[in-house]
Amino acid sequence: MKSSEVRLDRLCKEYNRTVAVDDVSLTIEPGHMVALLGPSGCGKTTCLRMIAGLIRPTSGDVFVNDKKMTDVPVHRRNVGMLFQNYALFPHLTVEENIAFGLEMRGIAKAEAARKVAAALSLVQLSNFGKRYPAQLSGGQQQRVALGRALVIEPAMLLLDEPLGALDKGLRESMQVELRALQRRLGLTTIMVTHDQDEALTMADKIVVMRDGKLEQVGSATEIYQRPASKFVAQFIGASNLFEGKVEARNGNGAVIRVSEHLKLEVDQVPASAADVMVSIRPEAIIVEQAGERSAAEQPNAVAARIDQVVYRGFVSHYYLKTASGEQLIVFEQNQSQQSGLRYAVGQDVVARWTTPSNHLIARH
Amino acid sequence: MTDEHFSGVGAFILYAVTTAMMIFIMAPLLLVMAVSVSDSYFVTFPPQGFTLKWYAKVLQDRDFLEAMRLSILLALGTTAGSLLLGVPAAFALVRGNFFGVAAIKGFLLSPLIFPALVTGLALLQVLAKLGSQDARLNLLIGHVVVTSPYVIRTVVTSLQLVDENLEDAARTLGANRLTTFWRVTLPQIASGVAAGGLFAFMVSFDNYPVTMWLANSEYSPVPLVLMRQLVNVFDPSVPAMSTIIILMAMVGVLVLEKLVGLRRALAA
Repeated sequence: MKSSEVRLDRLCKEYNRTVAVDDVSLTIEPGHMVALLGPSGCGKTTCLRMIAGLIRPTSGDVFVNDKKMTDVPVHRRNVGMLFQNYALFPHLTVEENIAFGLEMRGIAKAEAARKVAAALSLVQLSNFGKRYPAQLSGGQQQRVALGRALVIEPAMLLLDEPLGALDKGLRESMQVELRALQRRLGLTTIMVTHDQDEALTMADKIVVMRDGKLEQVGSATEIYQRPASKFVAQFIGASNLFEGKVEARNGNGAVIRVSEHLKLEVDQVPASAADVMVSIRPEAIIVEQAGERSAAEQPNAVAARIDQVVYRGFVSHYYLKTASGEQLIVFEQNQSQQSGLRYAVGQDVVARWTTPSNHLIARH
Repeated sequence: MTDEHFSGVGAFILYAVTTAMMIFIMAPLLLVMAVSVSDSYFVTFPPQGFTLKWYAKVLQDRDFLEAMRLSILLALGTTAGSLLLGVPAAFALVRGNFFGVAAIKGFLLSPLIFPALVTGLALLQVLAKLGSQDARLNLLIGHVVVTSPYVIRTVVTSLQLVDENLEDAARTLGANRLTTFWRVTLPQIASGVAAGGLFAFMVSFDNYPVTMWLANSEYSPVPLVLMRQLVNVFDPSVPAMSTIIILMAMVGVLVLEKLVGLRRALAA
């Protein structure tokens, strides 16, 4: 299958003066899987439907391999699309569903039958061809939908929350399976999801959207480790966010004063000397017994008291409160040999982390 | 549903009420059927004896047979016409997103609300003004006006249940809008279309108030002939004609139920 490059150029969509998608430009490299991630109403689905051709942009263009597609009707675009509720034709058998796109392309019966059989085996449903969608489980239905989308050898695959209706276990195995298949076929894929785990698991590149605009574009690690805004830091995973003032700056870093008891050392140079925001991921913080080493006047360390403990199996979540009132959340992996929790509510501790864990957020 | 849900006093009342309703609805029809085989010169109840001679008479009555032929052709034409207008209209009402959808919907369903007698008179005046002299054409137009709302209503109801993603999926797979409608949407709404078509046929077939204004002496559909016969000689040939119509309707309903599951559409 030939991979396509998809490019969005200043895409906008307005509905009765409300802006659903606002000036989105994005290049999706051939064979990549990109996730449009954001809360509901952020414009991600509208974006996907504009790429499919189901919605006409108010302005801006969609290019596939540098060919302008904006005026090409959806049925000539050759896109494979998966929907949240599978959208299988209930009056057709599994085989007929898969053959639908081939029939629309005028492919001869024998050739179509061969392709349908290949598609069925690709999605591991070879024995289910004669059944009707209603006779299949949710996971099987989504496989049929996948077979139906792939059999037409689409220029790209578009996924609209395709696994949202499946239960957790099945969803996770389908994520891995879908990702492996997509890699194997080298098919440019764009998926829409509000599930950050799904985006992190499946995508080469994550596009975080908010209020119709791109908030941040980057790999899973970039998005997670270097969130560009407060919104991204909070939407993807959990974050400890601190506001402070730049106290001192040197050649390749700065010291930021958050409160009387807490100052942070960062290895980035703040753009402005005024207020800045720093994000620290909860798993970057180490909790120590109080009194081992004093935290006083050390950067990236603070004395605190355990406020709440949540045991989550392989991790524990500790909620800490400092003397100046800041709250910290810490994730600590539990050791199998350890019995009970390491810290109890009310215990005095010291929270400590390294300078690279402090990430300066450019936009609040 | 199992029997255990229906037991005790509640069940007794439910069955009693249901039975009473059935009798209330069916009794007049059964009465008509009963007197149609009465061996007497006037309609009497209880029927006297048993004879099929009234059926023999009716089936040789040229006026009645001519009226039957006209009514069936008119009803078929009306069904076709109201489906051709009603299905696209329903599609536009449900899928369309244009200014005034609600107002247009109300307007299109209005013949269900206005008295048919008034609609018929209004049509007569308009058609006369337009110089339309052909009673058959006038009847067809009048009946389509009266029956389209039934089609629109049933099709709108079933269209609202169709997942729009099915249509989007078909289009991404390479079907244009027309093919999508034909291959994907129509099979989903077949029962609604059939129900609307059946309504259109039956409403046209026994419509009196509009027909009365638009028919003439040359072209008189069954309801007018029946009425005329009723006024002239009320012999059992009138119930015999009625029975033939009742049986026709029953066969129609049963065939459609077998074909597309009419019950489902009517339940919706």
